[in-house]
Order: sequence, then structure tokens, then C-alpha cells
Amino acid sequence: MTELILILLILLGILALQFKDLLNAVICLAVFSLLSSLLFYYLHAPDVAIAEAAVGAGVATVLFVVIIGKTRRREE
Amino acid sequence: MKESEIVSLVSRKLAPYILLFGLYLISYGHLSPGGGFQGGVVLASGIILLYLSRGIASTGKVFPQEKLVVAEIWMFFLLILMGSGGLITGGYFLENFLPLGKAGEVPSAGFIFFLNIIIGLKVGAGITLISFYLLR
Repeated sequence: MTELILILLILLGILALQFKDLLNAVICLAVFSLLSSLLFYYLHAPDVAIAEAAVGAGVATVLFVVIIGKTRRREE
Repeated sequence: MKESEIVSLVSRKLAPYILLFGLYLISYGHLSPGGGFQGGVVLASGIILLYLSRGIASTGKVFPQEKLVVAEIWMFFLLILMGSGGLITGGYFLENFLPLGKAGEVPSAGFIFFLNIIIGLKVGAGITLISFYLLR
């Protein structure tokens, strides 16, 4: 279980770097945060899991999407 | 932009429960997973949901930004004050000076409960203000 989540995390990180459309990269980062929060919960750290889910998947994603809306969406 | 009926309805019904969950995380922080920071971030995410769906002006009537600034500053002052309370009663900084209740109930663990409330309000106000100045 832990190895599966870790491999998925690495894949999502590489995907977030490779996407030219920044909105896709932000969604990849949100799924990354969600999966790492699942990993923290699985490793018996529910405190860190709640913080990661709230900050990483909630607030940071909203801020990134708003910033993309105020700047360019595509990366050259 | 045209206002979507689904987004408006869902956010209006969902935001009070998010705020309630944040308050639950803050007030049960010393018994179960959660605490000041996590509860504060959940509170702030509820207010950010209102900002995004209902608009900043109408949310500002319920959560005025000037009062959020005042709350954020005063909560830090209160935290320092409560930490110094341990010094005054003859101990070290952030030492407990309230009676310890029975373990497992909400009024237990001395003043950790009040510290959690202070930190929760401070973090909630701070993150809400960050997103307010960004979304403005």
C-alpha cells in the first residue's frame, strides 16, 4: 500500500512538471496532496493528514487557480 | 459572468457545515486529531468558498475584513499574554495555570483548549486575509 502510493506520488510529480497547460499541473498537485494525505493517514499521522488535506488540496489549489486566472494559462 | 444555480445552492448549503467542522476540530483538538492550525485552515477554507461563490462584497458583510485584521493582531497578543500567565504564576513560559480536568472530556488539559481556540481564530483570520487580498 505504502509503495503503491509512493510510486503514484512520483508519477504525479513528474506529470505536474511535464504539463504545458498550467491548470492540469495544478490539478496534478491537488491529487498529489490528496494522496500524500492518504499516505500520512495510513502511516498513523492523522494530524498531519488533516493539515495536508486542508492546506494542500484546499487552500493552495484555490490560490493557484486564481493566480492562473490572473496571469497566463499556458507555459511557453 | 452568469451565476450558476448549482454552485450557488451547493456553496450556500455546504459552507456552514465546513465552518462547523472547523470549530469541531478546534474545540476537540486536545482529544482527537486536529487542533488550532488544522481547524483554522478549515474555517478559512469555508470562508474562501463563500468568497469564490457569493462574491467578496456580500461575504464581507458577514465576515468584515477590518475586523479580521483586528482579530488576527489581538489573537497574537492574547497568545503572548496567556503564555506569560505561566511566568506570573511562578513557572516558565506557556506553563499551565488552569486546573486539569478529567482526562477524556472537553474541559480537560488545562489551558490547551483556550490556546487551540486562539490559534484557530488567528490562523483562520490570517489565511482568509491572504486570500482576500489576492482575490480582490
